[in-house]
Amino acid sequence: MAEEVRILLVDDEELVLRSMEKTLLRAGFDVETAGNVRAGFALFQEALSTDDPFDIAILDLNMPGWRGEEDPNAGLDLLSKLIAAKRDLPVIILSAFDEVSRAKEAVARGARAYFVKGREAGLVNLVNSIIGE
Amino acid sequence: MTEDTSLAERRAILLQAAAEVGRAVSSILDRDDLLKKTVDIICDEFGFYYAGVFLIEEGEAGGGSPDEAKDTASWAVLRAGRGEAGAVMVAEGYKLEVNGSSMVGAATGTGNAMIAADVGETAVHSKNPHLPDTHSEMALPLRVGDDIIGALTVQSTEQAAFSEDDITVLQTMADQLAIAINNAKLHEQNRRLLEQVERRATLLEAAAAVGRDVTSILDLDALLGEVVYIICGTYGFYYAGVFLIDETGQWAVLHAGRGEAGAAMVAERHRLEVGGCSMIGAATGYRKALIALDVGEEPVHFKNPHLPHTRSEMALPLIVGEKLIGAVTVQSTEAAAFSDDDITSLQAMADQLAVAINNALLLKELEAAHEELVRSKTFEAIATSTLEAIHWIGNKALPITASVHLLLEDLDRLEVADAERLESMREDLEMIRDGAELIVSVQEHLIGPAREDEPRPVMLDDVVKDAVVAAGIPSKMVSYDVAAVLPLGRADTTQLRRALDYVLQNAVEAVANVRERHITVKVAPAEEKGFVAISIADTGPGIPEVEMDKIWAAFHTTKGAKHAGLGLSAALQILRQLDGRISVANRPEGGAVFELLIPAYEGRLPDEALPSGKAVLLMDDNDAWSRFVGSALENAGNTVAHAADGKVDLEPFDLILLDDVLETADSYTILERLAEAKMAGKTVVVASDLRVERTMSMLQLGARDVVLKPYTVAGLAEIVG
Repeated sequence: MAEEVRILLVDDEELVLRSMEKTLLRAGFDVETAGNVRAGFALFQEALSTDDPFDIAILDLNMPGWRGEEDPNAGLDLLSKLIAAKRDLPVIILSAFDEVSRAKEAVARGARAYFVKGREAGLVNLVNSIIGE
Repeated sequence: MTEDTSLAERRAILLQAAAEVGRAVSSILDRDDLLKKTVDIICDEFGFYYAGVFLIEEGEAGGGSPDEAKDTASWAVLRAGRGEAGAVMVAEGYKLEVNGSSMVGAATGTGNAMIAADVGETAVHSKNPHLPDTHSEMALPLRVGDDIIGALTVQSTEQAAFSEDDITVLQTMADQLAIAINNAKLHEQNRRLLEQVERRATLLEAAAAVGRDVTSILDLDALLGEVVYIICGTYGFYYAGVFLIDETGQWAVLHAGRGEAGAAMVAERHRLEVGGCSMIGAATGYRKALIALDVGEEPVHFKNPHLPHTRSEMALPLIVGEKLIGAVTVQSTEAAAFSDDDITSLQAMADQLAVAINNALLLKELEAAHEELVRSKTFEAIATSTLEAIHWIGNKALPITASVHLLLEDLDRLEVADAERLESMREDLEMIRDGAELIVSVQEHLIGPAREDEPRPVMLDDVVKDAVVAAGIPSKMVSYDVAAVLPLGRADTTQLRRALDYVLQNAVEAVANVRERHITVKVAPAEEKGFVAISIADTGPGIPEVEMDKIWAAFHTTKGAKHAGLGLSAALQILRQLDGRISVANRPEGGAVFELLIPAYEGRLPDEALPSGKAVLLMDDNDAWSRFVGSALENAGNTVAHAADGKVDLEPFDLILLDDVLETADSYTILERLAEAKMAGKTVVVASDLRVERTMSMLQLGARDVVLKPYTVAGLAEIVG
């Protein structure tokens, strides 16, 4: 890799977040994390205004909403906002579920891939293949 | 004077003898003893050649209508006779017609004493070959009040041995004898009555004992065993057995039988058809107690090779309220062991038994219902109310797997002199990793992919075939038996595929260590109306009885620590959600068979017109689904080409339908080829089991869509339109 790939990782599960962060860090990526959609979007916006924006975003699908409320679509909303801010941003959606309809919805909103948690070993490969495109 | 004296003496002797007969006989209550004693005294004391007692048979002649009685003669039957001649005649059943032409016939007919001074001269005397020396005979009627009950014959070797005086004296004696005979008869009647009463009391007591002893036993097998034991023990019967009606209501199945014969028949699953040609069949068919006194002659009794000595049998139905639950057979080695009284008391016992059995059955049902409830509640607890907990646990376990993975990587790069310790650490980490992965898999098994919004009409044979092929089971190991006419099922195919995967996985593991590895898949309308049955039978070792119920429990496994033991419990859960059922049984020929009942689709199929004029390429095995799609599209005016491998000129096609599961190829590889040919955008991948990663990867390849396989014209129209 010529320069470090910057990854934004958003998940409300602290341990999952940290463990995935370590996996990605070890794989040589530059990772920043956020524990909710609001913090994640803020980080993304902030980076976008610098000359070192994020190259890829990995978002959990099931997170509390913008005001901390139950919202099954919070992850998808964040996805839409990020794509709106940066059209060609590759986004990987994470979920604990095998939900085809939600995955298709995510693809329809511009997500590049959908990743079921618990099958982590493939995450680094997935990121690499998306970066390589 | 001498004559007078001798007459007087003779009379005194006669009177004395008569008195002696009177004394002797009045104390003898047994009739046969009494008669024998009488003839002996007459001959010994009077010095006569022969004496015999005839009794008129009661009710033997006719006994039916009065007309019949008139037509039929009544008989005086010899009941006792002096010496060997008498014994022979009694044994021969020697009898003389009342009112007939014999001395005894005349005496019994007229009620008067008859004397024949020389038997050769008397018209009413017939010469008897057993008594060649008789020269004179007296026949005295035996009277009780106005009734003549028989006659006494006294015979002498002398001619003219009897005088009118003798008649008087001997008639007095005969009268006493008649009274004694009558007393003996009354006594016998009383004794019989008493015996009957006592027997009945014993039977009722035994019935009560059965009632008392068995009503407290709630274990059905123990109860039935105790019942046959009590019946045989208390009544001294040869055999007793209890049959219970099976769930079809057509068979009475032996559940307990006395002794080895009983055990052998229970082991043979001895059963008799309700209403069929057996005592039990008749008793259950007519709901009535039956007696067969000599079973060889009773048409409804089968001679049973296990019970060769049975000479009479009683069959009693077991009925509670209106419900027939079974029947009891009681058998005896005696030819006529049962009377109507026995029916009454044994039926009383059978009624109590029926109540006890019913209680035991109800308890069993209750226990089964309870187990079912516990089972389903366990599920609800695991899969529904604690869904959150499972997510939580799964999410907490996820970082463990990731972290262990990192640690193992670190370990590989570590330079430590203590290689043994390093290896030990690796082993510990691998154990942690395996445990955590198992916990993560719980989440996947119990929650699985998201449910479809609503179950839809599906071709179940196609779904099963997809499941078999996707499970990678070699085609030569599987045979299919699909009913010619098969209704559509109503199911969520993604979920059903999961359930089928678990059952097939179980079957594959079952046959892994046997020589004959085969799986038979049968799809047919279920016996139960409104369901389609998918049965999956294997040639494995079958499921041990003790495991039968446990296999459905979550976390129960017989396959070692690597299995979470969730497959079959997940299958049970899925079938429940589909309003279906799943059950397992061992096949008589060996191996286990799982049966999945799926509700038949009973709603009206939506009416949707297909577009026309399109060129469609159908990439699928030549199976039921591709035939359905092909004919539906062609009927609507489209052209359809089949190619399972896609090695055709793709240019002319407007639409390519690619089945996700193919017997001889991988649809993903085919899709890659289609993408290279720039045809992916015209390709719709259809799958009976839609999983997110595969769907995503296929969409990434550029497939127009990846959708659930449609099984109706309306579903097809959504894709083609």
